[in-house]
Amino acid sequence: MSSTLCCSFAKNVTLRSSDGQTFEVEEAAAQVSQTIKRMIEDGCTGSVIPVPNLTGPVLALVIEYFKKHSPPSDGCPTALLEMEIKDWDAKFVAVDNDTLLDLTLAAHYLEIQGLLDLTCHRVADILNDNSVEKIREIFHIKNDFTPEEEAEERSKIQWAFE
Amino acid sequence: MALTESEVVGLINVLPIECVASVLSFTSPPDACRSSSVSTSFRSAAESDAVWESFLPPQYKSIISRSADSSSSLCFSSKKELYLHLCDHPLLIDDGRKSFWLEKMSGKICYMLSPKDLLIAWMENPHFWRWTSLPDARLPEVAELIQVWWLEIRGKINTCMLSRATLYTAYLVFNLSSKSRGFVNLPIEAAVRWHKRMVFLDVKQEGVRVFNPRAGMGSFQELRWREGDGECPKKRGDGWLEIELGDFFNGGDDDDDEVEISVLEVKAGMLKSGLIVQGIEIRPKRV
Repeated sequence: MSSTLCCSFAKNVTLRSSDGQTFEVEEAAAQVSQTIKRMIEDGCTGSVIPVPNLTGPVLALVIEYFKKHSPPSDGCPTALLEMEIKDWDAKFVAVDNDTLLDLTLAAHYLEIQGLLDLTCHRVADILNDNSVEKIREIFHIKNDFTPEEEAEERSKIQWAFE
Repeated sequence: MALTESEVVGLINVLPIECVASVLSFTSPPDACRSSSVSTSFRSAAESDAVWESFLPPQYKSIISRSADSSSSLCFSSKKELYLHLCDHPLLIDDGRKSFWLEKMSGKICYMLSPKDLLIAWMENPHFWRWTSLPDARLPEVAELIQVWWLEIRGKINTCMLSRATLYTAYLVFNLSSKSRGFVNLPIEAAVRWHKRMVFLDVKQEGVRVFNPRAGMGSFQELRWREGDGECPKKRGDGWLEIELGDFFNGGDDDDDEVEISVLEVKAGMLKSGLIVQGIEIRPKRV
C-alpha cells in the first residue's frame, strides 16, 4: 500500500457547531458538502472547521448523512447499495417539521445538493397535503397580507383551489 | 436586511427565497399557486422563474421554436405567464399540422394532430373527402367526409415530443353533420399501439335497420347498440364530440419510439358520410 493512499483513508477533520460542540469526521465524508470541500481545499484543515450556522444536534445529524453518503472506498456504488441509501434517506427525513427545516437550512448553507433535494421534496409533500391555513400553522408563518390582499391573491389563483 | 424578533416567527421565514423556490419546484402548479397566498415571502418564491421553469416541460423551447409566431407573441415577463399562456392558448406548430398546449394542473404536454398530419384513406379524392374551415375549430382546416365505404384514419406521434412517465389517452375529435349517414350503432375499430377496442361515433338505443350489400340485394340487417358494446362519444366544452381511442404509457426510456393511432371501419360495407374530423387529441389520462 502506498503512503498517499494510507493517508487519504486515515485523514479526519474536526467540525465545530455554533454552540461549541466538536465532531470528528473523515475528510472524504465531510467533502459531501461543497462548502466544507472548498474550506479544505483552501487549507483550513489544520485546525477546527467552524460551522457557525448549525447547532450541535443538527450538525450531528448532518454528519450521519455525510457518513452514509461518503464515496465508497471500493469504487462504483452498486444498484443494491443505491437502493439501501434511498431507503435510509427516506427514514432520515421522516422527522418533525422543525428538524426538517433545520436540515433544509443546513443543506443550503453547507451546499449539500442531495440533502437539499431530499428535504425540499419532503417539505413539498407537507405543502401538497395541507391547506394554506394549516401550512401557516405547521411552519409558524405569519400571514402578512391584509384581508383585501389575501382575497385578491386567492381570486387570481381560483383555478388552483378547484 | 436584519429581521426583528417578531419577524422571525418561524424558521421557514429565514429559509432563503431560493430554498422556498426549490421546495415549490417539487410541488405542482396548483400547489405552488395556492402557496402564494400563504405570505408575501411565499408569494415571491411562488412566482419565481426557477419554480415555473421546473413546471414547463424540458423540451418546451424546441417545441415553441416550431411555431410560426414563436418570437413575437410568446415574449412574457415571467415563466409563470408563459406557462399559463401555453395552458390557455394552444399553439399551432409544424405549419399548422399540430396544435400544442399544456395541461394546467400538471404542465404535461398535449397535442391535437390535425387532419393534415394524419393519413386519411381517399383524402386526396374530392368525391370522398374535402378540406373545409370551421369557425369553432382550433385548426385552420378540418376534413369533411363526403362519402366512403372504406374509413381509415391513421396518426402517429414520436414519444420524445410527449411528457415522460405519463399515461396518455388518444381521442378522435369530430362532429357529425345533420346529413351524416351510416354511423349509427356502427362498430368501429380503434387502435393505439397494439391495443384494439370497439368504439361508436353515434349510438341510438333502439336498433337501426340498414341495407347490407354483402348479404345481397334487398337484405337488411339490424344494428343494435347495447351498454357495454364499446366506447361512446362525449360532448366537449368546445361543442365538438370526442371518442376515446385508447391509452398508452410514455415511460420516456426509449427516445425514438412512435405511437400509432388508428380508426378503421372497412368490414361492414356500409356507406358512411357526414363525419367532420378536427383531429386526434393526445392528452394525459385523467385518473
